[in-house]
Amino acid sequence: MKVVLMDDRHSVWIRIFHWINMVAIMLLIFTGFYIHAPQSFPLFGNMDGARMVHFAMAYVLCFGVVLRVYYAIAAKDAHNIVFNPKKDIPNLPSMMKYYLFMSNSHPDYGKYNPGQKAMYTGWLFMALIQIVTGFILYKPQVAFWANLGDYLGGDIAIRLVHLIVTWLFVLTVLAHVYLDVSEGVPVLKSMFTGKIPRDFHGDQSADKSA
Amino acid sequence: MPTKLSRRDFVRLCAGSAAAISLSGFLVPFIKEAAAAGGPPVIWIQGGSCTGCSISILNTVHPDIEKVITEVIGLHYHPNLSAGAGSLVIDEMYRVAAENSKKFYLVVEGAVPVADDGAYCIIGERNGHHLTFVQAVKELGSQAAGILNFGTCSAYGGFPATPPNPTECKPVKEIVKNVPIVNVPGCPPHPDWMVGTIAHVVLYNELPELDAFGRPTMFFDKIIHDNCQRRQYFDNAIFAKNFGEPGCMLELGCKGPFAHCDSTTRLWNGGTNWCVKAGGVCIGCTEPQFPAWPIYERLPEMPVAPGITATVDQIGGVLAAAAVVGIGGHLAGNIYTGRIGSKKNQDMKEGDE
Ligand code: HEM
Ligand code: SF4
Ligand code: SF4
Repeated sequence: MKVVLMDDRHSVWIRIFHWINMVAIMLLIFTGFYIHAPQSFPLFGNMDGARMVHFAMAYVLCFGVVLRVYYAIAAKDAHNIVFNPKKDIPNLPSMMKYYLFMSNSHPDYGKYNPGQKAMYTGWLFMALIQIVTGFILYKPQVAFWANLGDYLGGDIAIRLVHLIVTWLFVLTVLAHVYLDVSEGVPVLKSMFTGKIPRDFHGDQSADKSA
Repeated sequence: MPTKLSRRDFVRLCAGSAAAISLSGFLVPFIKEAAAAGGPPVIWIQGGSCTGCSISILNTVHPDIEKVITEVIGLHYHPNLSAGAGSLVIDEMYRVAAENSKKFYLVVEGAVPVADDGAYCIIGERNGHHLTFVQAVKELGSQAAGILNFGTCSAYGGFPATPPNPTECKPVKEIVKNVPIVNVPGCPPHPDWMVGTIAHVVLYNELPELDAFGRPTMFFDKIIHDNCQRRQYFDNAIFAKNFGEPGCMLELGCKGPFAHCDSTTRLWNGGTNWCVKAGGVCIGCTEPQFPAWPIYERLPEMPVAPGITATVDQIGGVLAAAAVVGIGGHLAGNIYTGRIGSKKNQDMKEGDE
């Protein structure tokens, strides 16, 4: 059997935060849609339970976001996942060409391509928006949240934003799952094992040495 | 203090009074006593309003509430209740204000139209000239010890200030600055909220404790949704689809999850009923943005093209369907070009440079 050289791709912390946040966000989306329209999304037995899960996962998401951001800074991982307009925008055309089958290879972008970076950075802001709007809806009797809600346009506007960003999560998660899994099973596996075959990106990456 | 009721007891009474007693009726003798002992005068002016707040306070079950508020508590002027009329009454109102500068309380009912120098709301004549409402609010308000905004219109703008708002109605806080303001919102406010607030300032000559939006906490610190009799339905996800059905009214547009007031326990019309119990929805009438939302819809729709709106779920559903189609197309492309599937290994070598 051929020996496959493995490179480290995701540290154990990255994997832990990834799956914690994934579970929290998925449950928030499911319970959220149930809260939104329990008859159209009959996924839970009752409102009470769905709301309890929603609020529990809300706190999990808060910790997950804070810890992931702390990790990105402390472990100098931020440059891997934060969209950097100066560096990443010039790379967009070659990436789009590759995704649209207009070219067979793309340059080595580092750990993630500019599209992935844009999505992951966007998720940080979307999560923050959900946390802020969520707590405004959750604690209308606390002056701080009530004031903030009023400043941002009132509860109905807040609710609308909370729902719109939920849909954005649905759309981006769809894209994320498809694009990453379609890159190859090793990519999916790497989020469990942390490792990826050394020559994995060799097929599409023209400039391997970089 | 002209009364034996301590402020702490007073607040507890206001906040806690269940439907069993009529708060307003209970407070009237205390107010009478305080007024007789020389409590601060109260002036009530009315502008961009429907008079609903005045009607609501007259709905207090106490038999001689009208006499009490016109004569006893020193309500020296009320546009509907004053015995006199015309510039005589306006002059009297200004005289009382000047004599009691920084001592009297001004009740404002209605939003303040400011377009064209306030010409759309003239409340009387003074010195041979029109007296606009905005002028009265400015002149009297700046002399008052405090302003009591009765109703959502004077407190936050309410119906008159809702777009298109051709008369440019504003809430009082944008007209008079630097004078303490109490907001007693509601469309209309419950009589107890108004009588209780007047009683507080007359009895103790200071403003009650207020929440983030200037509302007395003794009446407005509760969320409807947390005390609603239909809450059990909500928790069990039993929702009314039509009016008249049992169930939580959320899907019919109930704004109880964010509306602050104590209707659930205080009850209206002398302890008879309240908005949701009567089979309606809470319309969130005490909230600063009221009525900027569809009353019988849960959430407003979004514009998608000129004159066309759709719900967020419709838009999201269409986009999600488009995403799935896109993914399918891309997947087909991936397989066709050999990026995925049996041809992969072979192509890998070719693509490798
Ligand atoms: C990825 C994150 C999240 C998603 C996808 C999400 C999704 C949703 C959705 C779809 C709704 C129903 C909206 C409606 O129809 O009114 C909802 C409601 C709500 N969410 Fe979230 N949410 C998220 C995070 C949070 C967070 C962090 C909080 C913080 C406490 C929160 C608190 C709430 C509250 C209080 C409600 C209203 C529940 C009710 O009125 O019973 N959400 N959420
Ligand atoms: S009827 Fe309104 S206030 Fe009552 S439980 Fe339902 S949503 Fe809440
Ligand atoms: S229950 Fe709702 S509609 Fe009724 S008075 Fe209170 S805030 Fe207004």
